[in-house]
This record gives sequence, structure tokens and C-alpha cells, in this order.
Amino acid sequence: MSAALISTLGVSISGLVKRYGDTVALDGLDLDVSAGTIHGIAGPNGAGKSTLIKILASEVQPDAGAIKVCGEKWTSDSGLHQIAVVHQEAELFPNLTVGENLLVGREGTLGRPQTGPREHEVLEEMGLTRYRDMLLGDLPLGLQQRTEIGRALVRNADVFLFDEPNSALTAEESEELFVQMREFADSGRTVLFVTHRIEELASVADTVTVIVDGRCCTTITREDISPQRIARELVFGAVQHERNAPSEIVLAGDAVRVEQWTHAQQKFQDISMHVSNGEVVAVVGVEGSGGRELVQSMVGLEHTSGQSSIEDYSQVEFVAADRSESLFSNLTVAENLYLRQDRRIRNRFGMLRFAETNRLASQARADFGVKAASLSVPVRSLSGGNQQKVAIASALAVDPSLLVVEEPTRGVDVSSKAEIYHLLHEYARGGGAVLLYCTENSEAFDVADRAVVVSSGRIVGSIDVRTIPDVETLAEQITVLEAKQL
Amino acid sequence: MNASESRATAHAAPPDFSVKHFSRTFARIGGLLLTVALVMAVFSIISGGLFLVPDNLLGLLRYMSTLAIIGFGLTTVLIVGEIDLSFANLYGLSAMMTAVAWLNWGWPVWAAILLSLVVALLVGLFNAFFTTVVGIPSFIATLGSSTLIFGVTLLISGAQRFAPASPPTGKTVDPGEVDFFRSLSNGQLPFGIPMQVIWMIGIAAIFWVLLNLSLFGFRLKAIGGNETAARYARLPVRRYKFYAFMIVAVVTAIAALLDFSFIGSAQPGAGQALLFPAFAAVVIGGASLSGGQGSVIGTLLGALLLAIIANGLALLAAGPFVQQMFLGVVTIGAVVLDRFSRNWGKVR
Repeated sequence: MSAALISTLGVSISGLVKRYGDTVALDGLDLDVSAGTIHGIAGPNGAGKSTLIKILASEVQPDAGAIKVCGEKWTSDSGLHQIAVVHQEAELFPNLTVGENLLVGREGTLGRPQTGPREHEVLEEMGLTRYRDMLLGDLPLGLQQRTEIGRALVRNADVFLFDEPNSALTAEESEELFVQMREFADSGRTVLFVTHRIEELASVADTVTVIVDGRCCTTITREDISPQRIARELVFGAVQHERNAPSEIVLAGDAVRVEQWTHAQQKFQDISMHVSNGEVVAVVGVEGSGGRELVQSMVGLEHTSGQSSIEDYSQVEFVAADRSESLFSNLTVAENLYLRQDRRIRNRFGMLRFAETNRLASQARADFGVKAASLSVPVRSLSGGNQQKVAIASALAVDPSLLVVEEPTRGVDVSSKAEIYHLLHEYARGGGAVLLYCTENSEAFDVADRAVVVSSGRIVGSIDVRTIPDVETLAEQITVLEAKQL
Repeated sequence: MNASESRATAHAAPPDFSVKHFSRTFARIGGLLLTVALVMAVFSIISGGLFLVPDNLLGLLRYMSTLAIIGFGLTTVLIVGEIDLSFANLYGLSAMMTAVAWLNWGWPVWAAILLSLVVALLVGLFNAFFTTVVGIPSFIATLGSSTLIFGVTLLISGAQRFAPASPPTGKTVDPGEVDFFRSLSNGQLPFGIPMQVIWMIGIAAIFWVLLNLSLFGFRLKAIGGNETAARYARLPVRRYKFYAFMIVAVVTAIAALLDFSFIGSAQPGAGQALLFPAFAAVVIGGASLSGGQGSVIGTLLGALLLAIIANGLALLAAGPFVQQMFLGVVTIGAVVLDRFSRNWGKVR
């Protein structure tokens, strides 16, 4: 490596490893980032992005590997070079003023700290001077975020890591933020930009690295960057499954239909869509697109206006993305499996029918292929994939008229993924209706008959997934649809 | 429902009979039994056998009954993931309500008792309303209602002590009613076993069935274990919390009336000394402060342990100050135990 190259290296990561129990989050990740550029990082959920961010933010310690900043060895406590992490929501002190926020942690001596020349300089640079004495909590998110950046500036940070920085910002605020990022890069600082939004990555970043399975799988340089290219790389690294053969689907009436469906806080507006009995529909959209709220609203979990064909929500079942919100960790596998079937498990005196509960649990375990040593072990003792199967099985076992699942295979191993896709498919083929929220294109490709693409709170298109030959094509089409909206 | 079905129910094993669960539950119960035996042995030796005198043991059982009866209700509230601090003052209000209505207003005794139970139900509704509908943490809501209740108690009683044996000046009480009220806790039982123990056993049986065999108990545990998941699974979260707060209020009133009947007098602040012992008993018995866990047997043993400690210290003439200190230590110890046992559960 030549001397000139080393001097321009902002961050150099080699062989970074992080394990959580049996799960390998980072598997020998290598990454070189040049100073003076904006380096984009993309990757599917569970690829290790957030672990990388946590390590750079000194929240967790890596198991192995080395990190160099400006050519010097960096550890979280060396204090040599600061890495500033800017989160989507500023992690600051809303009860203090903007000026005080810049000072917290650097007070040094007794007495109430005063903003000095350095702070004024930063306030000026960030355009915060006139907000100096206002309470941070009273300011809009964009200004809060600028305060967080300012906090990093007064600490003379060399590296700025933006973690989904604009998912809560308005379009205008986002633009300002991107200009700011460009200024940092031009002044020779190192800028890392992590986001789910592929179009922004393509338009803002100089270089884009795609992380898959805890490694950097590709780095795309300026001239090759396009949303389509990034979308292809994102799904390219994902493990391909045996796709369920496109069998004949028989649609038998609507399971749900909504018109002029609008979220109370405008997370989505004026949506018209339906799910028929016999099909699997995936709402596809990045975090913040409104897709999550849309599927939750279909089961009555969000405040909305408009018309829905469902009046009684007792016939629909919902499985949340996060297993900490779908499973009862203090209960056994069996109890989790039969919990939703209240009419079958109690007698007329309100007592549990243990023969029936045991039978239902055994049946659900067999029907849904849950691998558990015993039905009476705590559900948390199962693997992630089997926990997810329990979560979905408990909802499917009541034979709902509509099953809504958020990210059905988040954090699930490959073989369980295929089994879960199969379960959902079988249910639809048997005349049920399944609505999913997917953030991964590969998931939509594997399981959905139809993909409804949501961007900025509106449906931008619908794709008949069964006519799409491969996942790359689907990813490209989705990206094109999302780009139209922007 | 036909005969074959009910037979199947009778023969089916209750849930949680895996070796692992079995051993964990029994480790806790076994540990408690061992502690109880150990503490008893220590007190017996130090007191020179005085501790084991039947009269002393029977008094101990009576105190245990009060703790346990309230404790079952408290366990229910903790299982569903809430907390109730108002029971201590509700205890005072319940006894006083009956005393005032009966002795001062001249109501028939049965109506006065009924009034207490209704008032207790209202207090439960009040706590549940502010916790689940208004959305105030139950710790704060019940801390507030506790003070409110105490104020009401002082108001209706004029901060006076009431006793059926010496009714307020100018009032008369039917001796038959006094006998009836006394008989609630002073029945003739073999070996002089206090009547309250029978009440405790009966109420324990009801709670055991409710928490272990009914859909109610099962869902209660689920709601306390993960409220978000429970809401997503369409369990009646709010309704069950209402039930839990009403249950603890009613059993508190029952315990208070039994004590009133036995002691023969009601005082406004009588229950305040029960706050920490009842709490400690329940937590020592394995109810988790973060919800989703708790058992009738555990609470029973926790109440026994607390009663032994209180009785033993009194016997050694340790004085109320030392007893207070000891209670503080035991309460903190119980919470620490709760914290550790939860972490043990997490590590696989």
C-alpha cells in the first residue's frame, strides 16, 4: 500500500468479527473508506450493518479485528479520533437548551458552563445560532439532528457515521442534511452513510458498499452507482431458496378491501387496495414508507379514516415483526401455540381443558413443523426460526379470515425461512388470505403472489410476482416504482 | 359437555409438567421450605423452646392468614403486570366502613359487611380506571388512592377507634349481631386452630383453581408476561386488569373484616403495618415485579416465613424498631432475589 493511499484512508476496518451466542453478526468484515468522500453502506436486515454501527459507536466490543482511523489504531477508549454517530432520532437532552447540549460532558470545572468561541463557531456553522437558548425538545427533528452533529463538531470528530439519518425528516430537511454531509466530505472528513433508501444512496454517495452475511460483498464506485445496480447486489448476496412453484391460484372474493384509507398521522394517505381469499400479498416498502402502518391498520391497530370491508376484527390475526411482541417468553411452547384459541381451550365454566390444549398444541406442532424437544419447554429456549414458526402457527391455528404478518422471516435462518414461506403459501392455497409487510425484496419474491409497492405513504404500483422470472428483476422493478414517487 | 369430556379433563395433566419447569418451580418452593425450617429452628433454639409453644404457633398462623389472604390478591395484580400499594389503607377503610355503618349508623351487621365489600370493589375500579384507562402507572395511581382512602377513613371515623363491645355513646348494639360478627373468626375448632386459617385455606383453594386451572389465570399470566403481544393476540388486557385490581381489593376487605372480628376493634391506620410484610411475602413467594409470574403455594410459604420472622422477633423482645429494620432488609432481599432469579432464567 503506497504512502499516498494510506494518508487518504479515513477508516480502515479489517477482519472484524462479532458473535452473539451462536449467531455470527460480523464474519471477518473488511472495509476501506477514503477520507473526503461519502461512503454509502447498504445491506439487507440482519446483514450486520447495525452491529458495525454499534461497534463504531463504541456500544459493543468486537470479538476480533482491527479498526484504523486516519492510519492510526482506533479503539473505543483510545480517545484519539472521535467517531460521531448521527442517529435517526437525536440521542440528546431534550430538557436542555441547544447551547447546553453542546456543552454536556465537557463542563470540566465547577460552575455553570458557558458557550465559548468554539461553540459559537459550531453554532454558526450549523445555522443554530438563533436557537442557542431554546429548549432542544421544543425544536423540530431536523434542528435536533443538527445539534447532534454540532455536538460531534465541537468534539473535533474525524469520522461521521450517519445511521438512517433522514427517515424521520421532511424532504426539505433531508436535502439540507445531504448538503451538510457533502460539506463534511469536501472538508476532508470521512462520511459514512447507512440507509435503506436505495435512491438516496445512489444520488448522495461516492462509493457504495453492500454488506451481506457479515461481510462486504461488493463495493460499487461512483461511475457504476445506480439504484438498480445496488438493488441487484442486495438480493444477489441473499441466499436463494427453492421458490414455491407458481401453482394455480383461485381467488374467491375479498378477504379485505379498503378505500380512501388514510392514517390519522398521515403515515399513508388515500390508499385503495384489497387482499383476496387464496392469495399472498406483500406490501413492500422501506422503513418509514408507511407500509408497516398500512398492514397494521388492516387489523385495526392504527387510527385511520376511510372505508374498510372488515368491521369485526375478531376474525383477523396479526403477527408482529419483533418476536418480543408476538411471543410470551414466560409461557411454554404449548401455551404459546394454543393461547389464541380461547373458545376451544375452555369449558363452559371457564376452566382450561387440558386434554384439548395438549391435543391442540401437539397438532399445531405437527402441522407447522415446530422443532421443540418438548411442548412444555419455555418458548425462549427454541431457535429463532422455530420461535417464529410458533408465532405464526399460533395465529394460523385459529383459521383466520385474514392473516397479517410483519416481516415474516426477520432474523430467521435459511431453512426455517423456506418452511415459513411454505406455511404461508399453503394457507393461501387452502383459501385463506395472507397479507405481509416486507422490507426485503427477496422475501416478497419468495412468498408473495402479488407485491404492492408503497413509497412515501402511497401505493406506487403493484407487481404480479408470479410472472417475474428472478429476484433481481423484481428488485429492479420495485426500485423503478419507488423512484417514480420521489 | 358430556361425561367423557369431563373425564378427559380430570385425567389430563395440568400444564408445565416438564422436568425442567418442575425442577425450577420446586427449587424455589423447596428453597422456601428449607428457609422456613431453618428460621424456625433458629428461633426455637434462641427462644429456648418458647417459639414452639402451641399458643405461639397458633398466633403465628393467624398473622400468616392475614398476610396470605391479602397476598393472593397481590399475587394476582403482580401476575398481570401491575402493582397495588393502596391495599394497606383499604384494609383500614374496610374495617372502619363496617364499624361505622354498623355501630354508628345502626345498620344491620350483614349490610355493613356488604357495604365494605362494595366499597372495596369501587376502590379496585378506581385503581384500575386510572391505571388502564387514564394510563397512569399503577405505582403512582395506587400510591395516590392509598392516601385518598386513608383520608376518607379518618373522615368517616373521626379518627376514632370502634369496638362492638363498647359502642359509641348513645348507641346500642344487638348482642346477637356481636356474637355473629365474632363467630366469623372465633369458631370452635380442634386444637384451637384459628378460624382465620380455615378462611385462608378456602381462599387459597379458590385462587389455586383460578390461577392454575382456569382460562382466566392462563390469560392473566400471558398479559403480564407480554402486554404488547397480548394486545396483538386480542386478549382482553384492560378487562383483566380491572378484574385483578378488584380481586385484590375484595380479599383485602375480607382479611380486614376477619381481623376486626377477631381483635374486636377497628382503627383507621390498622393496615399500614401490613404494607411491607404482605409485599415481601408475595415477592419471596416468587411473584415477579415485572409481571407474568406468581404462585399461590409460593405466596403461602412467603406469608409463613414473614409471620415466623415477625413472631420470632417479637418473642425475643427485639422491639418494634428492630422489627422495622428487619422488615426493610427482608423486603429489599426479596426484590434482589426476584431480580437474580429472573436473570438466571434468561441465561441458557
